[in-house]
Amino acid sequence: MFLELEHLTMKFGGLVAVDDISFSINENEIHGLIGPNGSGKTTIFNMLSGYYKPTSGKIIFEGKNIAGLPAHKVTQAGFARTFQNLRLFKSMTVLENVMVSMGHLAKTKLLNVMFNPIAAQKENDLFTEKAMQLLDLLDIRQYAHNLAVSLPYGTQRRVEIARALATEPKILLLDEPAAGLNEVETDELAKILNAIHQSGITIFIVEHDMKLVMGSCHVITVIDYGKKIAEGDCDCVRSNPRVIEAYLGKEEDL
Amino acid sequence: MKNNPNTLQKILLAIFGIILVVFPLIAKNGYQIHILNLVGIYILLSLGLNIAMGYAGQINLAMGALWAVGAYTAGLLNTRLGFPLWLTLPCSIIAGGLVGGFVGLPALKVRAHYLAIVTIGLNEVINIILVNETKITGGVDGISKIAKPVLFGFPINTELRYYYLILVAVIIAFLIAKQILSGRVGRNFRAIRDDYKTAPAMGVNAGYYKLLAFVISGCFAGAAGALYAHLNAYISPDIFELKTTLFIMTLTMVGGMGNLTGSLIGAFILPVLQEYLRAIQDWQFVVYGLAIMVVVLFVPGGLMQIATLLKPYVTSLTSKFKKNKTGPADGEESNVS
Repeated sequence: MFLELEHLTMKFGGLVAVDDISFSINENEIHGLIGPNGSGKTTIFNMLSGYYKPTSGKIIFEGKNIAGLPAHKVTQAGFARTFQNLRLFKSMTVLENVMVSMGHLAKTKLLNVMFNPIAAQKENDLFTEKAMQLLDLLDIRQYAHNLAVSLPYGTQRRVEIARALATEPKILLLDEPAAGLNEVETDELAKILNAIHQSGITIFIVEHDMKLVMGSCHVITVIDYGKKIAEGDCDCVRSNPRVIEAYLGKEEDL
Repeated sequence: MKNNPNTLQKILLAIFGIILVVFPLIAKNGYQIHILNLVGIYILLSLGLNIAMGYAGQINLAMGALWAVGAYTAGLLNTRLGFPLWLTLPCSIIAGGLVGGFVGLPALKVRAHYLAIVTIGLNEVINIILVNETKITGGVDGISKIAKPVLFGFPINTELRYYYLILVAVIIAFLIAKQILSGRVGRNFRAIRDDYKTAPAMGVNAGYYKLLAFVISGCFAGAAGALYAHLNAYISPDIFELKTTLFIMTLTMVGGMGNLTGSLIGAFILPVLQEYLRAIQDWQFVVYGLAIMVVVLFVPGGLMQIATLLKPYVTSLTSKFKKNKTGPADGEESNVS
């Protein structure tokens, strides 16, 4: 199994944010996580990416338990994430933002960086080239030398995705990538997701935009009040009475 | 990375370089050159602080003490064991780096103002050790009779000769600092400064880079210490007190935090200004305090920020000049922000 969450629980004091959740994500699928506000989606994300240490439970990634590892180790193991509210490095250009993520792939040692300008420059050029290819994939090459935070919201979202992809992940965690995007931008996002999926990267996505989730995800997990209430493909989830009750409410056209 | 050629910075650097080489030859007396030697040492200190504070965002208010560590290492090794400069200098750099790393340990737990307070505390701790460990450090009397260096049989025994030694050291230090900051290490430093919570998600080991920033600033301070000890031949704890730390911080802020050229400018202007302010004695600290306030409130980027504001005018002037000479210039710079 590619990624398995086993009896994952997270308590904040007396509040149980995530309560004994287990599910698995297969390699090269687009897996969606949905649930009403406050149901614990972002908490699961933060545990997966090393920001929270789970109170109990395991996260088995390619046979190893990564629960509780520090964030940079989790990233180096092959996880990449974006943030719900944009968090680009504010003093850096788009290109630099993306290149930060490549630092952990560097093979030059620290002393080389200091005293061997030629080797350092060579590696830097290689990274620049790779970063530019990513910018092409997300169609933001023309902004490469702009200050990232000076760009429009939708473009910043793309930079965030490029920055996450630059860590060369096996699995990409997207925390509400469509939040704040208009319909056109959301459609473009769906295309980007497909392109990323085509390149062999597994995607795990938290999203409120049902059109995007239903259109892109292969498997959907639904949680409510920190508990898993349903899992399956789009149709299965759509017709599940518990989901309709807890989350989709009276939306009859769904 | 292909940076846009920053014309103004280059011009400033060139002017600075010419002054540096020519001025000591036309200086009126040895004292003026002595001040310039101090400027060079302050540049080393300021570069160290700039890397830690300006780039990595780690407030290191123990620079005075780290400078002392370098100076005392050199002083002791020279007076007790007879080590020459080319041996004391690397030892001082290593000692500065080690103590710098130790001073940086709290950065793994605290940040911003709290880190400032903790590092001030460590600055004081090191000073108290220097004053009280009389047997080793000589207490308030310090260490005297530190030998002037002799390089390849050539005695560096005048201020002018020492000046060129420091000039070489400063150039090397500046190039190393620039090299460190140009690649991935520099980007990681800025990443933890910009957003220390997001950086780990991009694979940046924030703790490691925080410590590294402190170690590097310690190494620069260590080098400054060794050069200072051999220059002055006499060192005592009062030179490295908190006011020195604050002076280093002031000159770096006035020059420009987060800009290495700013360090060169700040470390030149303030020590020279200090000479003119000697008449008003302790009141000079009021001037420095006001300088910090003005910088923080109006130009957080220091003098280099003012220079950047003027940059478009200079660029347009130079491009006009080029056009007149060689016809329409291609490769127009597209500048953002």
